[in-house]
Amino acid sequence: MALAIGADDLVENPTPRVPVTLCLDTSGSMMGDKIRELVQGVNLFYDAIDEDDDAHDAAEVSIVAFNSQASLIQDFSSVERLQRTDALDATGGTALGEGVNLALDTLEKRKLVYSGAGVLYYQPWLVLMTDGQPNGSAVELERAIQRVTDLVAQKKLTVFPIGIGTDADMDVLAKFSPNHPPLRLRGLSFKEFFEWLSKSVSRVSRSTPGDTVKPDLEGLAGWAEL
Amino acid sequence: MTIETAVGAITPEDFVQPEHRLFVDTNVFMDTDPAHQGGLKRLFKRCAEAIRAHENPVVVPSKVVDELTKQSLIDTSGLSEERVGSIKKAGNALVFLDAAVGAGLIRTDLGDVSNPYADDLFVEVFKRAAHRYEMCLLTNDTALRLRIRLVAAETDRRLVAGVLTKDGLIEVDSDQALYERALRKHARLTRRVEQGLGTDKDQKDVAELALLLPDFQQTFAVAPVVAAPGARRTTRQQRSAVGTARGVPGAFNPSAAIKAPDRVLEGSAVLPAAGDTVLFTSARGDTGTLVLGAMLGEGGEGRVYAVEGAANSVVKVFDAEHRTWHRKEKLTLLLSRGFEREGIGFPTSLITNSDGEFVGYAMPRATGKELQATVMRPARFKKTYPNWTKADLVDVCISFLEKVSYLHSLNILLGDINPKNVMVDANKDVWIIDADSWQLEGYPCPVGTPMFTAPTVTGDYADALRTEEEELFAVATMLFMILITGQFPYARAGADGGDFAALIKEGKFAFQFRGASDRDQPEGNWKYMWSHLPFPVKRTFWNTFHRDGLRYSKRPTADEWLRVFREYEQFFGGFDDFDQMSHDVYPTRFKKKDAETPEYECAQCGTSMIGRWQEYKRSYWTPKLCDDCRQNQTRCSDCGKPKPAEALRDGRCWECNRKRNFAACSNCGKDTPRRYLIDGRCSNCQLVACKDCGTPTPKTELTYGRCASCATKAAQLDPVRLCADCRQPFITFNHASWFTSRGLDIPKSHAAIRKTCPPRPAASPRPRPSRATATSASPQSTAPRKSLWERLAEWWKS
Repeated sequence: MALAIGADDLVENPTPRVPVTLCLDTSGSMMGDKIRELVQGVNLFYDAIDEDDDAHDAAEVSIVAFNSQASLIQDFSSVERLQRTDALDATGGTALGEGVNLALDTLEKRKLVYSGAGVLYYQPWLVLMTDGQPNGSAVELERAIQRVTDLVAQKKLTVFPIGIGTDADMDVLAKFSPNHPPLRLRGLSFKEFFEWLSKSVSRVSRSTPGDTVKPDLEGLAGWAEL
Repeated sequence: MTIETAVGAITPEDFVQPEHRLFVDTNVFMDTDPAHQGGLKRLFKRCAEAIRAHENPVVVPSKVVDELTKQSLIDTSGLSEERVGSIKKAGNALVFLDAAVGAGLIRTDLGDVSNPYADDLFVEVFKRAAHRYEMCLLTNDTALRLRIRLVAAETDRRLVAGVLTKDGLIEVDSDQALYERALRKHARLTRRVEQGLGTDKDQKDVAELALLLPDFQQTFAVAPVVAAPGARRTTRQQRSAVGTARGVPGAFNPSAAIKAPDRVLEGSAVLPAAGDTVLFTSARGDTGTLVLGAMLGEGGEGRVYAVEGAANSVVKVFDAEHRTWHRKEKLTLLLSRGFEREGIGFPTSLITNSDGEFVGYAMPRATGKELQATVMRPARFKKTYPNWTKADLVDVCISFLEKVSYLHSLNILLGDINPKNVMVDANKDVWIIDADSWQLEGYPCPVGTPMFTAPTVTGDYADALRTEEEELFAVATMLFMILITGQFPYARAGADGGDFAALIKEGKFAFQFRGASDRDQPEGNWKYMWSHLPFPVKRTFWNTFHRDGLRYSKRPTADEWLRVFREYEQFFGGFDDFDQMSHDVYPTRFKKKDAETPEYECAQCGTSMIGRWQEYKRSYWTPKLCDDCRQNQTRCSDCGKPKPAEALRDGRCWECNRKRNFAACSNCGKDTPRRYLIDGRCSNCQLVACKDCGTPTPKTELTYGRCASCATKAAQLDPVRLCADCRQPFITFNHASWFTSRGLDIPKSHAAIRKTCPPRPAASPRPRPSRATATSASPQSTAPRKSLWERLAEWWKS
């Protein structure tokens, strides 16, 4: 029954969707303040979307967490059905390639659901956050980079690679983002980042589909080291 | 079968077949035209056999008979020769009808509908019975033929109206020919009326044709013909809209060439904000200052501020990038013409900063909210305007169209029509804003919205002037999205919804129209919303959006749409408004096919349901439960799939029951009910002891209870038992045991078991030849010669 309601939700809302997938590093190095702030940031992101008229109907969020392996902790869902997270365990390695691949697989599945039902959508977003060096399978990492750059080249994906802290491997992140350099989060300003992200989602949902998103540069200053 | 294929001469026999009907109108009986002479007689000659075979007489409604009777009683003195001939014909027709009814060729027992005119009767009958019969009407009345053809288009059934030929065939005009014929008639009658010679009937006919012709032209997209002199043609869409001056005072030049590319104005203007004082210059050249109030909104090009002390005004201040030459010129031009109209955000003055630099413009404050934040979002819409019905949305469309039509009459294109620059208030009044982006006098509209962008627009919006045709795509899309509350016309199940431009370019409008497949309609209740739109509205949308549509590359103008929507307004409470649910913004089921369609409630959830016409049964199917209840009330306890209760046994669906109750036989592999399996084998593969040797053997390999080797043995002759007559073995083991098993004595000879003794090997004299000869004979023949004792001894040893 819950499934059927979810489906109604999807098809009875004609607003084109903005699928946002958060691909988050939950390796051991994230332990402590980082992971706590990250979880708070995500919840704040949910709140901000919920309160914004435009983003509320348009945003669909999914979350992939990766440490020694990747796991889907939130499948795509409208803001009303998102499950709030209290805490995430930070432990293990940094299987970044696996994480991105799972995020892309989830995204592809969601796009199939949209197409099957005749639901319109904007260019999907991938937010990739990590604080270290990827140490998963090199093949997976290579494949993930290839997939992301292909999608970006076809204008079928907007990617936001964000480094956390000084140890984040900005070179690897740069490989995921052929068009603009990755950004490094200033300190632990997750809150500022997710506020900016929700505003950007709202902007997109008000914008005209097909437009390329112009990052709100003024807003960037709030959280990124420029 | 569509009407187009029925053009030309058709044979009347077709319409006396089963599921067909042929009707004849009064004027055919009274026709004095020599070109039609004898046609009726030949028609009946052609059809008589088929009529009798199918018991399907030609229909002459009682109203026609009444009319003929009335006509035949008219006093002919002083009338024209033609009229007299015609009246005489009416009398003859009555005699003929009597005879033909008697012969079973005609039925007159039809048409007691309380309708004063036979014309209306035919239209009503055709409308009502369209889904049951293919019908043909013989009539010389052009207007009636137009009406029948419109009904045919509306119902998408083979409904034909034509005139009788001399050979008894039915001649049907092409759409264009019929249209032109009607135009000529309209012109002729109009002239007569204008000369004061018209009768009441002429006036009525003129009025009727005036209504029918535009509808017909739009339905069949026939080429409009310049009406004959003296004819009155008032429909505005007859004029080519693109590129012609419309003669509205102050209209812009529609064929102005595109201006040089836009550029940001010089000077690093200080942009005023809330609380700042700015200068204004009004249309009449008045100047003054005003103080900006609170910021009301922020868009892609600038910010909008309230004006202190002037609640009805707002000021838009461009941001630095959008403070451009084109914008300033456009606003200056608009201002110079002094346009003013409720619901349109014409500029009222130019705004300059304290340095005298152009920074924006003042305009009246629009009431209401963006369509984007109301009508286009079902969840929000239901909250904002919970009491609105479909009629209210129609009013919104009309209000929108009135403004667009006015702007178009000034040769202004809105350019970027989208739900963010169209506002609507609780009174259903629409405001159109964003004057600075309009296209006029060669200044292009630099912005656009992909969903509303015609497939012909490519490249940067600012690089080319848009055509009115392209603008009309946006108008049609907006109207659709208002009526269907936010749904995009090209949303389609099975298509990638991420590429709007591709969806538009494909031109596959998925909403069902005239029996086309509905498999790719987007999921959700949209198809119900679409289903309840009146036919002319659906038709216009379909023709505009579908690549096979007649208006796909000749889109309806704002004025044409206005007429469609004003008709829609009239639909509510009118003759065709037979389904109450058509008033709902969000209907929950398809529209009733006609007034007779049964309507009832689901026995479980009470939702409204309608009967579904089943052609092959010629009746309505009315299941008790709605689809949801039938699907959701029960589920298979094994696989969990929703199944109707009657499809479940022991709580399980057929497939699961079968899976549970059947298994493959371990020997032959046959799918067998489990209760018939023993030790994994089906009954055929069960092991049974051979009744002779006792070896367990599959049943299929037993012959009368014996295994293969015992069966072979049983079929052999018992060598020990000899026929008492011929001394040869005569009985098989099997046969012998049959007697034993019944406690009978075993017979002793061939004769006793109804066999004959084999012929003796040597037919000659007597049994005992010499031993030598005897031994040279077959060994068989020697065997009986052994003495009893010898044989006993052999048996003993064996």
